Amino acid sequence: MTSKPNKDPDIADTDPYHLFDMHFKITDRNITKILSEALSTGGDFAELFFEYRMAGSMLMEEDILKESSQHISMGIGVRVLKNDQTGYAYTNEPVQKKIIQAARTAAAIACGNGSVRTAGFERKLPVYQNYDMHLPLHRQSFDTKYHLLQSAYVSARDLDTRIENVQATLADEIRSVTIANSEGLFISDLRPQVRMAVRVTAREKDRRNTGLSTGGGRIGLKYFRDDTTPETIGKKAAQEAITLLSAVDPPAGEWPVVLGCEHSGVMIHEAVGHPLEADTNRKKTSIMWDKLGKQVAGSAVTIYDDPTLPHLRGSLNIDDEGTIPEKCILIEKGKLVGFLQDRLSAKLMNLPPNGHGRRGSYQDIPIPRMANTILAKGEADPEDIIRSVKNGFYAKSFQGGQVQNSGKFTFSVNLGYLIENGKLTKPVKNATLIGTNVQILNEVEMIGNDIGFFLGTCGKDGQSAPVTAGTPTMKIRKMTVGGR
Amino acid sequence: MPVTANHHLELAERLVDFGRKNGADQVEVTIGENTEFSVDVREGQIEKLLEADTCGLSIKVIVDQRTATASSSDLSQQTLHTLMQNTIKQATYAHQDTFAGLPDDHGETDSAEDLKIYDPQIPEMETRAKIALAKEAEKIALSDKRVTKSHGSGVTTIHGATTLVNSKGFSGSYKRTLIASGVYLQAGSGDHLFDEGWSDSTGTLADLWKPEQIAEKAVHRVTRLIGATKIKSQNVPVVFEPRMTAGLLGFLLSCVSGGNIYMKNSFLSDHLGKKIAGSNVTVVDNGRIPGAPGTRPFDREGVSTRETVIIDHGELKNYLMDTYSARKLGSRSTGNASGANNLYLQAGNTDPENVIKSVKNGLLLTGTIGFGMVPSTGDISRGAFGIWIENGELAFPVAEITISGNLGHMLRNVEIIGNDLTFRRSITGPTIKISEITVGGK
Repeated sequence: MTSKPNKDPDIADTDPYHLFDMHFKITDRNITKILSEALSTGGDFAELFFEYRMAGSMLMEEDILKESSQHISMGIGVRVLKNDQTGYAYTNEPVQKKIIQAARTAAAIACGNGSVRTAGFERKLPVYQNYDMHLPLHRQSFDTKYHLLQSAYVSARDLDTRIENVQATLADEIRSVTIANSEGLFISDLRPQVRMAVRVTAREKDRRNTGLSTGGGRIGLKYFRDDTTPETIGKKAAQEAITLLSAVDPPAGEWPVVLGCEHSGVMIHEAVGHPLEADTNRKKTSIMWDKLGKQVAGSAVTIYDDPTLPHLRGSLNIDDEGTIPEKCILIEKGKLVGFLQDRLSAKLMNLPPNGHGRRGSYQDIPIPRMANTILAKGEADPEDIIRSVKNGFYAKSFQGGQVQNSGKFTFSVNLGYLIENGKLTKPVKNATLIGTNVQILNEVEMIGNDIGFFLGTCGKDGQSAPVTAGTPTMKIRKMTVGGR
Repeated sequence: MPVTANHHLELAERLVDFGRKNGADQVEVTIGENTEFSVDVREGQIEKLLEADTCGLSIKVIVDQRTATASSSDLSQQTLHTLMQNTIKQATYAHQDTFAGLPDDHGETDSAEDLKIYDPQIPEMETRAKIALAKEAEKIALSDKRVTKSHGSGVTTIHGATTLVNSKGFSGSYKRTLIASGVYLQAGSGDHLFDEGWSDSTGTLADLWKPEQIAEKAVHRVTRLIGATKIKSQNVPVVFEPRMTAGLLGFLLSCVSGGNIYMKNSFLSDHLGKKIAGSNVTVVDNGRIPGAPGTRPFDREGVSTRETVIIDHGELKNYLMDTYSARKLGSRSTGNASGANNLYLQAGNTDPENVIKSVKNGLLLTGTIGFGMVPSTGDISRGAFGIWIENGELAFPVAEITISGNLGHMLRNVEIIGNDLTFRRSITGPTIKISEITVGGK
């Protein structure tokens, strides 16, 4: 689809091409020339990726605004594909000579002759606006942002006399990405990203514990007014640190585990999302590669990834290859039905792309990644789920997780609870849950009718990407809990 | 082609002057440039070739004891001048902090050449040679029939220069090189797969492990896991392979970092001079070991690196500090603004084989996954895999287990220290045996 840049006066500088035009003074004709150079050795496909990013952050600790910073990064990546081979080069000097040089370097992946006729480019815009571009943070005054940070800080500090220290950060960025490829695609996207994080240490006698809480997404100022206030974020971190002061060590062994809805998305992300990224499936190194169409989970389990959900941390208008993303169902009623695709994997697997090709920055090639990964709600009342466990473990908040291609995963529980006779009793600190995805998917016994979102930064192949993972409360029949 | 460091010295000096003239009390400008090449090979074919030149500049300004920082990879004069002016303005919004400011003393900086961190052979290496190295390591690894898949074999070279100028008169630059080669494999069958590999990295080409050595190590690491099972939860002695010891030291680093100490985010806050480990434990950071991967003439603030004993025969002697945390703690920078330089646990006398022989029933820890390390408590809880030891012999592989404990407790219970310390990663240690750790399983 083609349309004119948005001229809504209430929404400042949302023309995605604005930053591109300002910083990369490059004509359509020159883009054609660079792409021809990139394909001159016989490549199948060439692509230019232009990125301009402006970010700001501020840190408050020891009751003062200690530091603030601003970052600008700019660069151009040139990619050439020849069958399943990739040539990539990048530069951060936006001059024709340098980009041509990068194109020649990337072209070295192919070694033949080629010529390309790229039709004239027509500037396209994303079809949907999945970000809140109203009152974007990067357009707000320093004072406005500082007040947000300060109220999170103060509400954490003042929650309890046992709070020893608080660190609060607010980071916001605006990232302009523009993609031009040898198939004639020319598209641009302007992406906001905001993250507030509060870390609190509480102390009682010789004992110290740390609580963490975050908020944010592709949001504007409204989020902090109507959705999740800075006070909520600050208090939550402080409350967690205080609760942990009386926490016991986890019970080691296999237990029924209830995963609370707030953060357990990280398990779906690790256990299901990563193994269903198309690259490791086409290479047949993922444990899931031969399971398409097969029942891999109980029939109550439906899992999807949807970059088009509005304003979440992982939301996207286009992916980093210019594909308009779609909601991608991975597991439907227990059956494996889809993989997360980028262009290359989709082509090699002969499946349609679904807009999950993402890159950490212009320095990285696109790879299949998650955006917003969700386990669909069930019908159980979360209270009933806890009541159904005689002795077990309840995981409330997580620090993160990791998975291997073989499907083995772990995740670290910052705060959990013992379940005794159907009730949450003692708080538990620092537990690890471990398992394999195949086993865990088959051991989901109950799924709640609630949902919560985990805001994360996912690392893969040395690239990081902002993601969201959502789950209801759920019960796993049996899981290994690490502890003493 | 990257521009010369001389050119960057001039650019940095001009920008420092510009900042001073525009109202900054103190200015620091750092310029980094890197040329990177990497090749990934999978199943004998080049999967990815990457080449890039990049350059980035960062600024720190202090105005009336208020700090702001900025960075840019857009080096046009107009952008840099605007950025400097904005950063100065932004600093005035921060609170006054009497501890803020550039280093008062940069220490002695000697020639970077003596440190052997630059090998001209690396930038000159031919692309064909690098591709051949990557292919060779993978080919050898895949010739072992127990290995079912290759995740890929890669070679990366980086050569770059760092230039730092500040308004206190510091001006310095150094070049460094790096080459890394590694292969990552899969073994096992059905739903019981294992992923492992090995990579070696060094600053000197001649010093790089040969493809046969890398392949052999990777094959050994993945095949020894085939058939791994869970075990019952129990408290047993655990032998840490060198990289696992390094993982423990990485956690120790965050517990002795000045920032976590003055914020009291570490269980080792207020522990200076106290006995925190067994008397066989000595941990050192040294940024001046010639040819070692963490060696650098000066840190991110221009403070010269040095040798700092962190734990001396069990006693906590020093924290690792940058200028700010040192002032907060009433001390002086240890040249650790860039983090650890070469952080290591001093070697003991025992052969690693004899460390294993000393275990009647326990675990040889070969890998961990996940996070789960909390500096404020020292608590550790991670997913783990390894080889079970019975009567001093490696008996069978174990996976899907957890190890958990507390760093303070582990440091006091280091029973044996191996003699196999090498300097191939900036955080490094020998094989160690810890007398008892909780292993979680069935």
